[in-house]
Amino acid sequence: MTTDNKSYSNLGLKDFFLKREVMVIIVILALLTFLFASRGVNIILTIFIDFAVFAIITMSLNLETGYTGVPQFGRVAAVIIGAFAVGAIPGRIMAMFMGLPYGVEYASDTVNFRLVPEINQVLAGSWLISLGFLIFSLFIAAICGAAIGWLISRPAIRLKEGYLGISLLAFGDFFMWVGHNWNAMVGGSVPVSVPDPFRIFAGSRFMVIVLVIFVIAFLVFTYLQKLHRSPFGRSLRMIRDNDLSAGAAGKNIVSVRTQSLVIGAALAAVGGGLYVLYVGSAASIGFTKLTFTFWPWAFMMLGGIGSNIGVLLGVFVLVILRTMIVIFRSQWFGFLLQIGIDPLWLEFTLMGAVIIIVILFMPHGLVPEKVEPMLPKSRVRAVMERRRLAKEQGNQS
Amino acid sequence: MTPWMASGLVYASGLALTAGSITLLFIVTRTFNFAVASMATFGFYVAYTGVALYGGLPYQYYPLVFLFGSFLGIVCYFGLNRHLLRRQAAEITLMMSTLGYDLLLLSFIQMYADYLTHSYGLFPRRVTLNTHDFELFGERAAAIILPVIAIGLLTLLHQFMTKTRFGVAMRATIENPVLAGASGINSDRVYMVSWIIAGGMATLGGAFMAMAMTGTPTMGMFTIPLMFAGAILGGLTSLYGGILGGFMIGMTEYAGVFYLSQQLGPWVLGYRMAIPLILMAATLLLFPRGLAGIPLGKIIEKRFGRKRGESA
Repeated sequence: MTTDNKSYSNLGLKDFFLKREVMVIIVILALLTFLFASRGVNIILTIFIDFAVFAIITMSLNLETGYTGVPQFGRVAAVIIGAFAVGAIPGRIMAMFMGLPYGVEYASDTVNFRLVPEINQVLAGSWLISLGFLIFSLFIAAICGAAIGWLISRPAIRLKEGYLGISLLAFGDFFMWVGHNWNAMVGGSVPVSVPDPFRIFAGSRFMVIVLVIFVIAFLVFTYLQKLHRSPFGRSLRMIRDNDLSAGAAGKNIVSVRTQSLVIGAALAAVGGGLYVLYVGSAASIGFTKLTFTFWPWAFMMLGGIGSNIGVLLGVFVLVILRTMIVIFRSQWFGFLLQIGIDPLWLEFTLMGAVIIIVILFMPHGLVPEKVEPMLPKSRVRAVMERRRLAKEQGNQS
Repeated sequence: MTPWMASGLVYASGLALTAGSITLLFIVTRTFNFAVASMATFGFYVAYTGVALYGGLPYQYYPLVFLFGSFLGIVCYFGLNRHLLRRQAAEITLMMSTLGYDLLLLSFIQMYADYLTHSYGLFPRRVTLNTHDFELFGERAAAIILPVIAIGLLTLLHQFMTKTRFGVAMRATIENPVLAGASGINSDRVYMVSWIIAGGMATLGGAFMAMAMTGTPTMGMFTIPLMFAGAILGGLTSLYGGILGGFMIGMTEYAGVFYLSQQLGPWVLGYRMAIPLILMAATLLLFPRGLAGIPLGKIIEKRFGRKRGESA
């Protein structure tokens, strides 16, 4: 083997383990094994669900912030809309077909607690209806999310960096209060229950939910990877890196940014809808900007803005750490309990510390965004080969 | 004064100070300070701790509130903002860094509230500070004292910026940092002083707002969109614009809720946040640079210029 050849050959085993992605994955696996050994399988499933839901939301944030350069500080708005859509619409449609009350009274707590079990019975009876219900829920969540994403982007989209982020933040909170006060939609402070399309799996319901959310998260991931490489993805990055030159090259900046916001909002709404289906009720007061805007930002910053793999790893690491604070709060933080302090607040300390440490010492995150060639390597090679052949033929003739 | 106007004035003075704090930091250091949220809550807790443990009126603790805010500002500047400014970080990075600081402060506030509950048997999670208020000229004292303090502080700041050497140096740095540095102004000190003033203003604003609303550990988190709305309404280009914007947002919210709930019924109360947000969205749609971006001079010239032209 010549030295020339060596540089092109695969990485050695040592280099492989020194790659950041691999190191992070090893840490994640070690933590998971530790949790599995000490607390059993249920905690692992909970972590997986949190991971998958937040992975969808954070990847949608990454599309808007990492790819497009829109500082999306109002992520929670789209998530809430997805949650409300799933809480309000599919259940009502089921009630309508079954001849049950489906108007304003559907959301009132005295009616709702009798309605939903009836709907659940129908869902548990037929897997076709269950599947249809699930798909329709996610579809309606995506549609509503996209609509709201478009609406919010109207006053904000022409603004620059900080202005934009702050206007989005202001709109994010508004929807939580709407949901909390408008009883006719999802019950306000006494939230509606959501019919459960996974009821049909009885005992293994939890497992199936994990699987379904995982599959959807994977689909979102593949879609975003494709989008990243597509011409649209390239114009997104072009606008992010230099909007002036993108405008000069004929890109319609406002329209491309709006499209990105609409796609991102639809994906985040699907995340919110899945979360509501898993929890089983649409409590609007739980959708605070702390959980659904600032956590995803922390995930994304730790993972690496603009890199989807990094985002996934960031979500995984922080979700595990967060769960560990909850589980081991009395064992590890007993000294806090002694002076009356609930160690659960350490969650916010962790979130803040992660953001600050990443910004100060690791600005590009765990897995920095890589500059990718426009075409995959194999196609570049094929093109080069064809050219070489053409040249040789030209020489021969 | 009607009750809504009294609480509106108190609340709007608080929002004016916090919005002014955001604007000041933005024009000096390009930093959108998220930490205003938790700084404001801390301001309320300093005043509350004083009143609950040592008695007296909330007003007598305001100097302490201001000092504590300055301390929080200095910590943020030396621990975080300074390094990023030296690195010439992007606006978004600066914004995110203060968000991290804000979350740290939020967790400390929550722990402090737990500690107060445990060690002193207080109930710091739902506080109405205005029960400690007194009457002045037949009105709630807060409705008179707080706007006066706010205006006094603004006048003081104005004098400081226009009359003192350091204030002039600060304005020079705002106008053109490079040129100011070249003429021997220590921009590091300018940034530090602006963090001190802005921190104090933010905490004081929080202490003001607690006189009109229920004080909770997440008080700042819930009102931060309105503080930013005020700053954006003011245009983020001049300190006075920010203070005016915050004041307008606060007053519009109270006046709008009062008027609409009389017209439409009490259900409007739940959507009170929509009023300032609609005001902000409308301003952004019409004047993307805020109130300060309205070309008043041009409009007047156009209107009256034409009229003069027609008559001539």
